[in-house]
Amino acid sequence: MKKYWVAYQIALQETLQRRSTLIMDRLGGFAIVVSLYSFWTALIGDKTSFLGYTRAEMLTYVLALNILRSFVFTGRGWQLVGEISSGKISSYLIRPLHYYGYALALDMAQKTVHVAASIFEVAILAWLTGGALFLPHDPATWLLFGTAVVLSSLIFFFLEFMISSLAFWTSESGGPLFCFELFLQFAAGAFFPLDVLPLALRKALEMTPFPYMVYFPVRVFLEKVSSAEALRLIGLEALWLAAVFTGAMTVFARGVRSYSAEGG
Amino acid sequence: MPLAIETKGLTKDYRSPIKEPGLWGGVKSLFDRKYKDTRAVDGVTFKIEEGELVGFLGANGAGKTTTLKMLSGLLTPTAGEATALGHVPWKREPAFQRSISLVMGQRSQLWWEIPAYETFKLNQAIYGLDEADFRRNLDELVDLLQLGEHLTVPVKKLSLGQRMRCELAAALLHRPRLLLLDEPTIGLDVVMQKAVREFIKSYNKRSGSTIMLTSHNMTDVVELCKRVIVIEKGRLLYDGQLDKLVERYADHKIMRARFTTDVEPADLETLGTVVKYEDRTVTIEVPRAQMAASAASMLRSYPVADLNVEEVAIDDIVRRLFSHK
Repeated sequence: MKKYWVAYQIALQETLQRRSTLIMDRLGGFAIVVSLYSFWTALIGDKTSFLGYTRAEMLTYVLALNILRSFVFTGRGWQLVGEISSGKISSYLIRPLHYYGYALALDMAQKTVHVAASIFEVAILAWLTGGALFLPHDPATWLLFGTAVVLSSLIFFFLEFMISSLAFWTSESGGPLFCFELFLQFAAGAFFPLDVLPLALRKALEMTPFPYMVYFPVRVFLEKVSSAEALRLIGLEALWLAAVFTGAMTVFARGVRSYSAEGG
Repeated sequence: MPLAIETKGLTKDYRSPIKEPGLWGGVKSLFDRKYKDTRAVDGVTFKIEEGELVGFLGANGAGKTTTLKMLSGLLTPTAGEATALGHVPWKREPAFQRSISLVMGQRSQLWWEIPAYETFKLNQAIYGLDEADFRRNLDELVDLLQLGEHLTVPVKKLSLGQRMRCELAAALLHRPRLLLLDEPTIGLDVVMQKAVREFIKSYNKRSGSTIMLTSHNMTDVVELCKRVIVIEKGRLLYDGQLDKLVERYADHKIMRARFTTDVEPADLETLGTVVKYEDRTVTIEVPRAQMAASAASMLRSYPVADLNVEEVAIDDIVRRLFSHK
């Protein structure tokens, strides 16, 4: 495990070293949150609630999105695609190292920095908007939410890892990854709560792992589901995680076998 | 001596898409993609003993790098067998991975934004080196490669030569028993090339590690390798001592004569092939069997001030092999 811990520490140093990239990333995320906040504020207008969400809950949903984006939606997909396409992955494959563990360590470093930044941003936004947030009082809710978010983050990581591994077979795997990320934003509830969607579409999405990444964890946080239901959802999340982990490992292992180690 | 590497009929095919030229070719390939199979390595068989330093030569695309990639476990062969340090490389067993290193001159394992020392610390953890071993190996490499102050500078700020030396240090920290070097001096200036060559030679002597090296720089090969393996279009062309290449592939010798007066170069064609005539000095390629007669004729018929007979330079022979002459 020590190697992954050292990789995490080095990646942390490198993330902090790339100051402009970090600042640009944060500004981009901040702009999305401000847009969503303005959009939902306009929709709610003078009403006390909208689609079953009070003003405080909706504001919390939007602000929680900022933290969840930083924690859940930061995989190493593009890095994997780039390293396979350029052949740089060779240098990892010949070392006594599990590439996915290494990538996960790097991802954790990225998450550490981005989550810290997003909490700071959310604090500023909460202060600017008067601080009317929904914060659960029951410690069990925090525990369930934390568990759900960790599982979400791992589901995203391995799902993205699996799609990025297509780069072993094609030099055009950036396409599927781009589509995945775009669809993900919508299907995970990262633009709006999925309650907005027609029931049939929502039911269809619930058959996929996407709603488990943002929508369900935030509903757990907002105590929109009972503890029993939250536990059931976490169980389903664990099943999805097992499925995407197995899928990612299988695709990656097959990819490595058919890898042509491009370039001299 | 135990064997470090043994291959039998090692073969690797690559599959790549074919696209007809132009926009229409692009549209067609969208619906009807055709593929071409290319045999990069074709039934290569050789053995290398532990501690040997072997040059692996061939023109671009001859299959050198593909062979190295199979021996390091990066690629699985289409056919044939190989063992390296007693392991089947492409099974990627950790014990094997801890004993080898592959350095590709054009690739980097160093982290770009931070000093090379951090990559060394990561490799310490990856290869499970304890602090004492890490310190000892690092101190030795820093000394041999003159890394000194470069260790604390972000890698992106280093020159190519400094980076290459850090790259070598990163690859050797765990003291691999088998070192595969692919173009280790590519892009370096002559001073750095010499430093890297001297390091490789000294590392081979000190550690007794087996080294297999590919290079287009003939000075690397001539100075480092007694034995060479030459491949062409994926097939083994020659495996043996470097100096024996001369006997096998040079069917002629070089005769150089300096004259006291001007001589008509065309007249000298009866002695062999005139390569150059300049300042009353001629260079002639003479078939081996005809050498004694040509030298005698030269001395007898021309106003010779000085006469030399030489073997063809090794790098010339290898260059000829590369260029399929």
